[in-house]
Amino acid sequence: MKKFILYSITVLVIAFILPVKTQAIPAFARKYGYNCNMCHTGFTKLNDFGQRFRDNGYQIPGQEGKEKNVFDLAPPLALRLSFGHTLYNNDEGTASSFNLYGLDLLAAGVLHKNISFLFIYTPRIDEPSSIFSGLDSINSNPSQFGRLESANLVFSNIIKDALNIRIGRFEPGYHIISSKRTYYLFQPYEVYLMTSPRNNYTFDDNQIGIEATGHFQGGFKYAAGFTNGTGASADNNNYKDLYLSMTQTLGKGDGQSAGQRIGLFGYYGWQPLTLPGTVIATNGQTNGSDNKTFYRLGVSASANWKTLNMQMIYYLGSDNKALNTLDATKNYKFNGGFVELSYAGFLNNRLIASAMYNWVRPPSYDSDSEVNAYSALCRYYLGDWSAINIAIHAEYTHRITGGATKNKENVFALALDFAF
Amino acid sequence: MQKLLIYPVVLILANPMMLPGQEQPVKPVTAVNVHVLGPQKLGNLSPVVVPPGNPQSSSKILLGKQLYFDTRLSLDNTISCATCHDPAMGWSDAGPTSTGISGQKGGRRSPPVSNAAYSQLQFWDGRAATLEDQAKGPIANPIEMGSTHDVMIRTVEDIPGYVEEFKKVFGTSTITIDMVADAIAAFERTVVTTDSPFDRYVRGDEEALTRMEKKGLEIFNGKGHCTLCHWGPYFSDGRFHNLGVAPTDPASPDEGRFVVTNDPADKGAFKTPTIRDVALRAPYMHNGSEKDLDAGIDLYNKGGRVKDANLDPLILPLSLTKKEKEALVSFMKRAMTSTNPEVSGVKPPSVSDLPK
Repeated sequence: MKKFILYSITVLVIAFILPVKTQAIPAFARKYGYNCNMCHTGFTKLNDFGQRFRDNGYQIPGQEGKEKNVFDLAPPLALRLSFGHTLYNNDEGTASSFNLYGLDLLAAGVLHKNISFLFIYTPRIDEPSSIFSGLDSINSNPSQFGRLESANLVFSNIIKDALNIRIGRFEPGYHIISSKRTYYLFQPYEVYLMTSPRNNYTFDDNQIGIEATGHFQGGFKYAAGFTNGTGASADNNNYKDLYLSMTQTLGKGDGQSAGQRIGLFGYYGWQPLTLPGTVIATNGQTNGSDNKTFYRLGVSASANWKTLNMQMIYYLGSDNKALNTLDATKNYKFNGGFVELSYAGFLNNRLIASAMYNWVRPPSYDSDSEVNAYSALCRYYLGDWSAINIAIHAEYTHRITGGATKNKENVFALALDFAF
Repeated sequence: MQKLLIYPVVLILANPMMLPGQEQPVKPVTAVNVHVLGPQKLGNLSPVVVPPGNPQSSSKILLGKQLYFDTRLSLDNTISCATCHDPAMGWSDAGPTSTGISGQKGGRRSPPVSNAAYSQLQFWDGRAATLEDQAKGPIANPIEMGSTHDVMIRTVEDIPGYVEEFKKVFGTSTITIDMVADAIAAFERTVVTTDSPFDRYVRGDEEALTRMEKKGLEIFNGKGHCTLCHWGPYFSDGRFHNLGVAPTDPASPDEGRFVVTNDPADKGAFKTPTIRDVALRAPYMHNGSEKDLDAGIDLYNKGGRVKDANLDPLILPLSLTKKEKEALVSFMKRAMTSTNPEVSGVKPPSVSDLPK
């Protein structure tokens, strides 16, 4: 029985804390003949140039309209896969398992001058070696649900660098520190996943909508958008959530791999109390009523010294008291964040070492949602940068959850992470 | 674009050591502007594309070589093309900027003539579209050769040996500036370096590069961001970039490409030079402000020397470590230095060999 519980916990932990990470897109490296760390400090984390390339609609700044587009090239497809062994331990005991952590299928490219696209599909992956106690259905035990993580078109340089438009499902620009391009395969940015009792919005999710972004010579960048706020799903109310993010770079560099950067972001959304409302449309959207508001407000910072990077986010969340089933007299307020220190070393950034602290502070009456997580990782990239991209990845997390009663967990994973 | 891709590119690698009489007129071809295709992979140089209006021939190349090394083309018989584009100095000069007639100093570094045939535009600011156009410039520049085209033509016409050679090459004894430029350009199209350790490595010789040089190449094409501009077989995008170079005179900075285009985006932007044979021609940058390869790499590593509102978006601090910088220098120093005997061994004709 004990073994059974441990395995189950392992599966749940993996399913919960091991969301699929994208994105390294070797199709771009192949297109240009560049090595991966032209754009990545170490894949998957973008360096300053990689970020500029992304911001410019996957076009090299200054080359707009002069590059080969997808019709001149081999299909711009890429794949990323990670697998390995996980050792999980809590107060009850230990469990271990080989796992296939995730598979991403990616396509991205330039369709026409200043028009590009990004497409990421994550197929469903089962856990054939574990014992599962849930429903005997087709969806009973996936470690990764199949989904269209990203599918968007980018219209770049509409007003020079000051206006670019992204439409579709995309990673919102308020993800100043991207959870899709973190070194960590297993430890998420906890506060990104925080949800409150009656609000299923998660900061981490890619959203469907429209976003405007721009950057200016003085180092100022902005992103503003309207989205459903319901992840990949059709909207559940007729209000559109909105957000604004602003960053300012200090010194040379964009703050990803050089220079310093500070930022502010805010998100304002609506969540219906009455679902689905009076109307359910053919493609699933509803006019959910009794909409109540919530917001997220935060700051970010990133600082670089040589090949050392420190980045952090802190944000506050507040949901209308009508969404607070735990204490209907108060708005549900929480805060949280993370601090991540990363080092890139050896010749050509072959070695990445990182340490991270995550915390989530819910209101006192919801102390079970409290999280403290201490993580560290080491990644070593094998082979020739220009040919293959295989990283040996070792990661450890000590995670403490709960308020009065603390639950302690340890996760150690050794994985191979590769993209081509 | 597909049409451009399938245009045949005809090889005309005329050998300057060819014996007189071995005339090899070449079928004109349409020049392929490879840069319209965007970034190209590093690799071996393709044969030089010869413009239809100036086909190569061995006698024209020989004439061009004589003119290239002949100081009589300058007003006071002291300066030739080779004075500032010296084969012994990587087809450039000692710098930091060039010294012209009467010891006058130019404002810019002498660009290398080697492989200039692959450059889409000539001069640091790209004001000449062809080698032929470029060849005319310095003759009439008051601080370079200090002459005028008319004076120079009269000088050449007064040398019977030249008159005879021009007649042989162009079929007329009436010499024009266009003929002089055509001959010099024909010679310059033979100054092509194709046999560096990098070239041998690309052709499959794994031992051609040392371990350190291979690391340098990896950084060159990755973390060093070098191939963002130094791309393709020519190791240059042929475009213009503001790198944040320290100006020689901060009160009156060189505006570079802007002078040609009048486009504010081109202020302080200069053409990307090739990396081929780069170690032979320190100091670096358009004004020779970086004394050696270490200093040049340091400029890029810092994301430019000076703050410039027009800094190219490709210029960002690189966070290169000391070892990574050493590997880059190692790659550029030996692996990119050619050993083509027909180019590196080019000697100026002795005075007695020049037409009289």
